[in-house]
Amino acid sequence: MRFLVFLGSRILTFLMVVWIGITTAFFVPRFAPSNPVEAVLARLDSQKSFQPEQIQAMRESLMELFGLKGTLLQQYGSFLKRVLVSGDFGPSLTVYPTPVSTLVARALPWSLGLLFCSTIIAWVLGNSIGLIAGYWKDRTISRILEGTAILLYPIPYYILALALIILFAYVFPIFPFSFSAQGQPFEWAFIKSVIRGSFLPALSMVTVGLGWWVISMKALASNIMEEEYVYFARLKGVSDGGIMRGYVLRNALLPQVTMLALQLGGMFSGALLTEYLFGYPGVGTLIAQAVLGSDYNMILGTISFSIIAVAGATLIIDLAYPFLDPRIRYR
Amino acid sequence: MKAKRFNQFLTALAVIMILSMLLSACTPATKTNPESDPTAPKQEQSTGKARMTEQGTPRNETLIVDALDGRITNPKQFNPYIPGTAYSEGFHQVCMANLYEIDGTKGDMIPIIAAKPAEALNADFTKWKITLRSGLAWSDGQEFSAEDVAWTLTMLSTNKDLPAYGFWNPLIKSAKATDKVTVEIEMNKPYPRIETLVGDQIFDSPFHVLAKHIWSKENPATFAAATPTCIGPYKLKDVDANGMWTLWEKRADWQKAAYGASMGEPKPKYILFKFYGPEEKRVLAGAAHDLDVFMDITPDSWDVLRKKNEYAKAWFDQFPYANMDDPCERGISFNTSKAPFDKLEVRWALALATDIQSVSMATFGGKMRFSPIQVPPLSGLQPLYHFALEDWLKNLQLADGYKPFDGEHSAKLVKSLAGEKGLPTDPKAQKELFGVGWWKHDPNQAAKLLQSVGFKKGSDGKWLTPDGKPWKITINAPANFEVQSGRLAFAVADSWKKFGIDATAQAMEGGPFWTAEGNGDFEAGSYWPGCGVQPDVYNQVQGWHKKYVVPTGQTAPGNRQRYKSDRISNLIDQLSPLKPTDPKIVPLVNELNKAFVEEMPWIPMFGTSKFVPTDTYYWTGFPNSKDPYFGPWWWWSNFPFILHKLQPTGKM
Repeated sequence: MRFLVFLGSRILTFLMVVWIGITTAFFVPRFAPSNPVEAVLARLDSQKSFQPEQIQAMRESLMELFGLKGTLLQQYGSFLKRVLVSGDFGPSLTVYPTPVSTLVARALPWSLGLLFCSTIIAWVLGNSIGLIAGYWKDRTISRILEGTAILLYPIPYYILALALIILFAYVFPIFPFSFSAQGQPFEWAFIKSVIRGSFLPALSMVTVGLGWWVISMKALASNIMEEEYVYFARLKGVSDGGIMRGYVLRNALLPQVTMLALQLGGMFSGALLTEYLFGYPGVGTLIAQAVLGSDYNMILGTISFSIIAVAGATLIIDLAYPFLDPRIRYR
Repeated sequence: MKAKRFNQFLTALAVIMILSMLLSACTPATKTNPESDPTAPKQEQSTGKARMTEQGTPRNETLIVDALDGRITNPKQFNPYIPGTAYSEGFHQVCMANLYEIDGTKGDMIPIIAAKPAEALNADFTKWKITLRSGLAWSDGQEFSAEDVAWTLTMLSTNKDLPAYGFWNPLIKSAKATDKVTVEIEMNKPYPRIETLVGDQIFDSPFHVLAKHIWSKENPATFAAATPTCIGPYKLKDVDANGMWTLWEKRADWQKAAYGASMGEPKPKYILFKFYGPEEKRVLAGAAHDLDVFMDITPDSWDVLRKKNEYAKAWFDQFPYANMDDPCERGISFNTSKAPFDKLEVRWALALATDIQSVSMATFGGKMRFSPIQVPPLSGLQPLYHFALEDWLKNLQLADGYKPFDGEHSAKLVKSLAGEKGLPTDPKAQKELFGVGWWKHDPNQAAKLLQSVGFKKGSDGKWLTPDGKPWKITINAPANFEVQSGRLAFAVADSWKKFGIDATAQAMEGGPFWTAEGNGDFEAGSYWPGCGVQPDVYNQVQGWHKKYVVPTGQTAPGNRQRYKSDRISNLIDQLSPLKPTDPKIVPLVNELNKAFVEEMPWIPMFGTSKFVPTDTYYWTGFPNSKDPYFGPWWWWSNFPFILHKLQPTGKM
């Protein structure tokens, strides 16, 4: 019964967070000092090929076409109806008339693939290294590992990414300058080109993410090593491996799992800088283009996924935590 | 002790790692030898097999062009009449073609799909006959005819779902094909400049002929045309599903294509438009011979590229390197409906408060051409306008008799650039390169003008407006695009700050930047309202007519500076009914130039300098200062003018 109440309240919170987030995403861009019609017309006008009357006539047509006539509340009402009934975010206004869902469906798998792999790799590697560093904190190996993490962590991502491109695409041209998938999906040529094109962006993300996991896990592990139950386990004669796995890791992992869940939820926002630097097709670029072009529909479509994912990740963690830590009960 | 040694070791390791990364970045260009490229398929040296592109085409048969539009969000959309279609990844350059194209260096309109200039069928320019070339065919083999032109015009003026309907419908009364190569167009109002309506002047034309046999079966308002039917000399071969590149292949029947029929065979078998990402990567790609044609880069990137790649060429071999004939002009615009920019004295004061030499050096290191009038200082236009008005400019007086013009700016600039090789010593040549001159930098005269309209200097030396408030100016600047204008805004703000105005530049992304101008939600901005490529600048200047002025807060269709001038409007009205070749055009435009100078609604400063280099490792024959057969406007629709002049170098 307690669990059902807990579940119900968490789901209600989830729905409220999603609704507030999407509503905010609906209204905020409309208060920005630009709109999609002006963005399209400005691009055309800057080419100096169109006359003022043409621009004016197109303004009227585009307002109609983009569904921007009517009050804000009327537009909000039609948007909610469209999204709730058919999950349709409408056409992109910068890539009219391609549906937003088509564009997101095209970009999302790339973001999820890259970010999921690099996040998990960084998490596993980082926590493993951090655990070792924290368990044997007085040893030389610990200092080397911690020192490396401290060295990597503060490097600005842009510099690191460019350095990797210069080293491995220019000086030693092993990888391509930009990502490019060749061949038909899931053929060997396609898989090979995806791995080759994704290696550098993934390496950059793993390198940047690693530092944080090492440092945080090392700190957690070092603290847990001071706990009485660890001393007791040692006195009992439990092996180092057993203590590391059963006593230190299990306790240190809890906050790391929370952070991982939130990071995985954040995958749906893409990684704009990575995509821009490596030419990687992902949701981050879509979001940036949507914001710069005041593409209301695309902003809503992309950000809604992100809101649902992050809120969903929080919900899952809330529900899963008691299974991870028996000390926690549903309230 | 042990810990101290260990920490020293860590420090040394860190320094070595950082140094090695820096050294690798500074390593001279390896001038990537395709044969040693580990990513290339293994080739036998003796068989002379070519390096291949990632798209599977021989590198020495492929021209790789920088992608102006960046990554295309929907790469399978080739409908020219719906928003969101990317034009500059080859679509409008090599697939589509216009009835007429501008020769960017001479300013002539050249028939491309048309066979000859348009013929007016009556004296009031409401009826026109356009004769098309015979023997043209679409890329699917179907015959191109006047039916396609007539059908497209009719469709544009009758399909209410198209955004452009609102423009074409009031204009076109009828369009019919009288035979296979003749189109007769009747307009609803006099239109003496029909060639610029159905042809290109700058960048592209608003009119693109569609293949009737394809489009008449589809809804042109929504049809994506994923496989475009081309009239240009290339057809679509492949496109990256993620929008990073577009590959075009020369048509086997190029003789039946536009440009091919009139200019001969374009040499590259393939043209690959590719997006590399940030400017650093584009430069790296150029250094590795993976990019032949660059869109706009900064002078700093050009410096890096020319040092890393001996085959990289700009317009000039030496300083100033850049081509200075881009048909728009840079300067500072004002919302002249807002005080104090509604006062002539204030605008003139700001011009005289600008240290244009410093601005030139700060913006692009002196690689720009001064322009005191609103027509851009193109090589073809300077003799007609800038130099023709030189005496008038020298004798120009403000209301108090002050003569503001300084014709020695080019000489002064050359003197300050004494370390650069190849600069002209002859004063005439200096002016041809760096411009006829500009306004004097005279803070005292500027102060006099401001004081005459109630401005005062505060005890801190800063200017106060007539109502006693500190005078603050914010100059809108483009962020991350049109670098020249962006830097110009900051340089001008700095100049005005030294004069005692609290001036700042505000970098803005495209959407807000243009919306602010459209709505009048700005006071000053580094916009570029002065463009032109032909002597007849009517199409570009007509937007200054007072009829387009709307209150601040409403979006202006034209005249975004909200400047009402009977004199300028009358001159525009006089230009309106004239044919582009009318001998009255040049004198009238010069009267307009005088009006713009005397009224100074905006402050023109420089022509646009474009660093658009090429890599001549695989291809030569690009236009340059020694062979200026065309302008280096790779992103314009007239790019094929260059393609038939290119030659492969034979390098593998």
